[in-house]
Parts: sequence; C-alpha cells; structure tokens
Amino acid sequence: MQRLSTTVRLNRSVLQLDDAAYVRLERYLAESASLLEGDPDPQEILADLEQAVADQCTRRLQPGQSVVTLAELEPALEEIGSVQVPGASPSAEPSTPSAARPLQQVSEAAVISGVCAGLGRYFGFNVTALRVFAVLLLLLSGGGVVLVYFTLMLLMPYAPLEAGGPPLRWLPGKCRTFMEYLRTKFNLATN
Amino acid sequence: MAAESKLAPIRKGLLEFLVLKIVGAKSMYVPDILRRLAGTEFSTQEGTLYPLLSKLRREDLVQYEWKESDAGPPRKYYRLTDSGQAQLTALDEYWNLINRTIADIGH
Repeated sequence: MQRLSTTVRLNRSVLQLDDAAYVRLERYLAESASLLEGDPDPQEILADLEQAVADQCTRRLQPGQSVVTLAELEPALEEIGSVQVPGASPSAEPSTPSAARPLQQVSEAAVISGVCAGLGRYFGFNVTALRVFAVLLLLLSGGGVVLVYFTLMLLMPYAPLEAGGPPLRWLPGKCRTFMEYLRTKFNLATN
Repeated sequence: MAAESKLAPIRKGLLEFLVLKIVGAKSMYVPDILRRLAGTEFSTQEGTLYPLLSKLRREDLVQYEWKESDAGPPRKYYRLTDSGQAQLTALDEYWNLINRTIADIGH
C-alpha cells in the first residue's frame, strides 16, 4: 500500500498534495510564520498566503491532474516569494555568511592589491597557498592570470581600512588609489 | 552596485505609497495589484504585498471586502478608507514638492 496524496485545506481552498509537496509547503508556511513573529496579525497574512498558494497551484495543474507535485508547488512559491515584513530594514534580514564577510580586497594584508587576501578570507583558503597557486598559474598560463587579477581588482570592492591601523605598504596603497581613481572616472560601483 | 544598494530602500519605502495609489484608483484584489506593479521598478510578490496590506489595514488606510469570483473561492478586494484617501492626497502633494525640490536644487 502506498499513500499517494494528502488533502489539505488552505484557507478557503482544498488541495491534494503529494508527499514531497506536502513537506515543502509545510516548510514554507513554517518559515513564513517565523518571519512574521512580532507582526501583530500573522494569522491573517498566513491565511492570505495559503490562499495564494492554493490559487497558484490550482492554476498550474494540467487538465485532469488533481494532485499537486513539486513541479507545480516550486514555481508557485517562487512567484509568491518569501515573506517581507514592511518596515524591516534590509540589515535585519537573515544574514548569510557571505553577507557577514563580503568578498572584498584587503589592503592591509595585500602583497599587490589584496585580491588573494580577500579571496582567501572569503572562501576560507590558506592565503599563502592561494598565492603560490596564483604564481604557478601565472607561469603556466603565460600571463593570462594577470588579466584575471586585474579584473578582480576592478570588481572586488576594497574592505574599509582598519581605523588607526598602520599605513599601507607602497604597492597595495598605490593599487588602492589607482583603482579608486579608475572607478570614479568610469563611474563603476565600489561596494 | 553602489547606486542599487541606495535605490533599494527608496523603492521599498515608496511601495506603500504606490499601493495606496493603486487601490485608490479602483478597488482591487492582490493579483490585480501585482499585475499593475509588474514590469515597473516596483514589481513585487505576494509574500511582500500581503504583510504590507495587513499593516495598512491595521492603520485604517485600506479595508477589504469579499467578492464572489467566477472561478474559485471569494476574493478580497481592497480599497482606500477615508483616512487612506487623506493620506494618499498628502503623500501625493509631498511627493510633488520633493520632485520640485530635487529638480530645482543644484541649478
């Protein structure tokens, strides 16, 4: 015997879900409820969202199809989006590790401009190993890595300088000044 | 990227104004409101709009009524309350004022 579907009531609609879709929807609604913690009226919003899910899934069912699967549910949830509480500042959104530690060049730890130091810090690589690897690539690629390095110099923003830290060494300092000049000149984003 | 990170909070703050404007013109249910915003800078999703409408209702700026639909369950149609209408007028005036200031300043 095999259970094929679960029938759920979503606000004013009734929907049949297969097991995977049921688990996924349960997770979405639980996430929404936890995002709405602190909202004075979470029940109403959750009911609205349930109705939205039911409407979106029903619209996506093929003629003759009665059971909602992940194929209908995932795009439906994608379209509905996760709950955004009005007035919450963007910084209050759940922070990912990369948001806590953005991909930036680190002038203080730089040999040239800080690209390796920044990549190492962001991805948790050993910076010395990364530099040896980069030099190897430089020798093997016949200089192509220079272009890659320069592109990264241009694209990766510089981490703010440590307040009261030691002055930058000559090359990292020049790189930083030059890149900031280029970005202003060509109106490139810096962070 | 730098400009984008500054524009996002502006859009976020203005969304409420736009929603008031939309339901001020005509009572609408959420998919209509989303369609009206789709393709503009303010394109948004149900996950954003329902919490916002719930807040606006608590602030007595909008209210809804249930209307039967041809297909599926009844729908919530949102419209402005009197105080919502007053706030929309005030926001509209303030917005025009800001626009003039921005256009004039620096010349």
